[in-house]
Amino acid sequence: SIIDCRLKAVVSTQSTGVVKQYESYAGRNCRLRYFLRVAVSRRLVDIVHERELMVHQLSSYPETNSSLKMEVGIEDCLHIEFEYNRSKYHLNDVIVGKIYFILVRIKIKHMELSIIKRETTGSGPNTYNENEQISRYEIMDGAPVRGESIPIRLFLSAYDLTPTMKDVNKKFSVRYYLNLVLVDEEDRRYFKQQEITLWRKSPTSLKPENRGVVALENHT
Amino acid sequence: MANSETEQAKYLDAAKEVVKREAFNMQRALDKGQLMDGLRHATEMLNELRTSILMPKSYYELYMMVTMELTHLNMYMSGEFIKENKIADLYELVQHAGNIVPRLYLLITVGVVYIKSQECSRKDILQDLVEMCRGVQHPLRGLFLRNFLLTSTRDVLPDIDDNIVDSGTIDDSIDFILLNFSEMNKLWVRMQHQGHSRDRTKREQERLELKILVGTNLERLSRLEGVTVSKYQNHVLPAILKQLINCKDSIAQEYLMDCIIQVFPDEFHLKTLDTFLDTCCQPQGTVNVRNIIISIIGRLSNYAQADPSNIPEDIELFQIFSGKVTQIIQSRTEMPPEDILALQSALIKLALNVYPSETGYVDKVLENTCNIFNEERSRAKGCSAELSRMLRVPIDHYGDILTIIQLEHFTQLFGFLEYKSRKELCVYLAENVIQTETHIDSHDQVDLFLTMISCLVTDQADQSAEPEDPEDFEIEQSLVGRLVHQLTSGIPDQQFLILNTCKKHLLTGGDKRIQYTLPSLIFRAIQLCRVYHDLAAEDEKWEKKVTKILMYINSLLSTLVKAEYWDLALRLFLQAALVCDMVGIQSAETAGYEFVSQAFAIYEEEVSDSKAQLIAISLIVATFERTINFSEENHEPLRSQCLRASSKLLKKPDQCRAVSLCAHLYWSGKNREMAG
Repeated sequence: SIIDCRLKAVVSTQSTGVVKQYESYAGRNCRLRYFLRVAVSRRLVDIVHERELMVHQLSSYPETNSSLKMEVGIEDCLHIEFEYNRSKYHLNDVIVGKIYFILVRIKIKHMELSIIKRETTGSGPNTYNENEQISRYEIMDGAPVRGESIPIRLFLSAYDLTPTMKDVNKKFSVRYYLNLVLVDEEDRRYFKQQEITLWRKSPTSLKPENRGVVALENHT
Repeated sequence: MANSETEQAKYLDAAKEVVKREAFNMQRALDKGQLMDGLRHATEMLNELRTSILMPKSYYELYMMVTMELTHLNMYMSGEFIKENKIADLYELVQHAGNIVPRLYLLITVGVVYIKSQECSRKDILQDLVEMCRGVQHPLRGLFLRNFLLTSTRDVLPDIDDNIVDSGTIDDSIDFILLNFSEMNKLWVRMQHQGHSRDRTKREQERLELKILVGTNLERLSRLEGVTVSKYQNHVLPAILKQLINCKDSIAQEYLMDCIIQVFPDEFHLKTLDTFLDTCCQPQGTVNVRNIIISIIGRLSNYAQADPSNIPEDIELFQIFSGKVTQIIQSRTEMPPEDILALQSALIKLALNVYPSETGYVDKVLENTCNIFNEERSRAKGCSAELSRMLRVPIDHYGDILTIIQLEHFTQLFGFLEYKSRKELCVYLAENVIQTETHIDSHDQVDLFLTMISCLVTDQADQSAEPEDPEDFEIEQSLVGRLVHQLTSGIPDQQFLILNTCKKHLLTGGDKRIQYTLPSLIFRAIQLCRVYHDLAAEDEKWEKKVTKILMYINSLLSTLVKAEYWDLALRLFLQAALVCDMVGIQSAETAGYEFVSQAFAIYEEEVSDSKAQLIAISLIVATFERTINFSEENHEPLRSQCLRASSKLLKKPDQCRAVSLCAHLYWSGKNREMAG
């Protein structure tokens, strides 16, 4: 007869000492999974059950977090100064900043701020970059004049984002960029890309003693 | 951009369909308590306001429809939602919307509810809303968005008499509105420079359609209770004027200056008059300050008239305006004469209405006008119509020619009118005198008056060489004739001086005119003789005076004779003879004899038509018969002359008639000896 075993296990990383240094990730071209495999050895066929575990890497506020401020432009055409209040944002953070127009000689239709996710897999000659536009956020409608300052307030919680991952297990990277795009009347696009670092903040509801407790996900 | 009307209507209808549908869906979702769905439909609805196709009028219609639907959303949030949820979360949630126009409309809608919930500082929320609106830089969409901001926050701006503490002051409200106003004005002015130069008129027309959106900010400011005179003077007005000056746009400046005048109370204007007028004076292109100045003069004029105590003692309205107007006219050398005169007229009206007793003020305005035109004659070209209009203002107001005569510079301005206008004005003056039955009773005044209407009295240098329409001429000169009767004094001596003055003027009229004008004068002289005769007891010199008058009459009649007005002269001689007879003094008798002889002379030499002869001789005989004071010495020759003339008539029947008339001369034979 088949023995029904229901296993209910609460696993504490501290007790098992298994180090999970990376965050679970499911991307376009690669995945990083943690799962618990229980195998019951039998004579003929082993019973194997797998349960996936979601692992989140929690960080705390970085020690240094300077703002991103730069003047960019095209000679005699368009000069702007953009400013984002930080270079490192947590996933529920808000990007606050402004775009200041120093010189405007083109006819601008609108301006938007996009979040681009770049997943890099492979290495060396087999490196493959996959760009995905996570969001398109219109920050300006119409044509400004010299001296105008346009505010930016972009809530990251609206989007499906992961923390920045650099060279995970030497296999893949996930990086994020802010792409500032200005579109003119003839649909020409002028853009400036700027990398930002995303990190995961511990949720305030998580009690310190429960840190490290991993939520079990019902897979079947 | 769809230009034709039908295309516009088509696009508008399509947009309205979408709005109707999405609004319905939104309402349905909200009724079920499904906020997220409601917001989704609201966003779809608001997307229609992102259009670039609609012209201002159509866009406005769409805007009205959409914003009305948003009130349902507002009500839901203020009602059901807020009981169980934190509005702060909603404030963040709506900012997730990808497109900025829907996002900001939703943000404002939520923001108002947020303010009312008092969970957060009013000032912070208002500040946030007005700043975030910067994201819409498209003029049309931006103007309507900010208008939505202004109207939505109508009831939640901090003011002095609300009881909510620590969340914003009246200064915050003022700053909020001023910022919104500046941004809106910038967008409005920006419209001027968009697009092709050939479309400029159309663009300006569109701008004018939208002006009220900008003006509403000022109106809202004026409604704040906490805006006192001092706040207006120190905070509000300087900020508004700064924006007006910096924007360098004449449409904005003209409309908004006028708006300021209309929305803020008069006592504010009194306090800030200098600052305001200084801004007008700044040389800034083509702004038509004329209407602005006239508008404010008019308003303060009405204010002063409503209650004279409204104007503080130290504010000399007339001096201030007079000075500023002069400054403006001098600094703008290109100002057309119509504008100059319109400004001067406004000043005159101010003087007449607010300072009725100061005729000197009116004269000052006239003097300034003279100076302006004298300095540069070219400025006066082509201004006759306006100048006439301006000169009629005091005439109509005073209704009394005597006051007009006192205005020294009134007549001087006549010199700048064209002949036709001048004459019309003179006729106007003359009619005024006659209709109001004014008596001009001093010879100095008469002199001034006749100089004033010299256009009617005498030929003018700039008169055209063509002869005038005889009917018009007759009417005009009859007017002058009637006028003479108004130039009269109750004091006989004065009256004589007046008569002399009149003669001096009227004789310059030339032969064409005297037939109409001199008879009146002669009759007045005759009248004066009677007056002196009646007052004989009081004036010992009366006989001498009467003699002088008779000489005067004689000279006038000689002039008529010279001008060959035979019939007229004949009759007038006879009239004069009658009065001579009545007066009864020696010199009068001599004069009377002379007059009758003259009448005869005319009869014999100039009356040739037989019918006319009969009439004339009958007249002479009849007149002569009336006389009672001729001495026999004088009576006899004249009688005989009558008889002789009668018998010489052409037709026998006429002869008979005339001779029988003469019989009366013989049988009654009234003469001095017979004592009647």
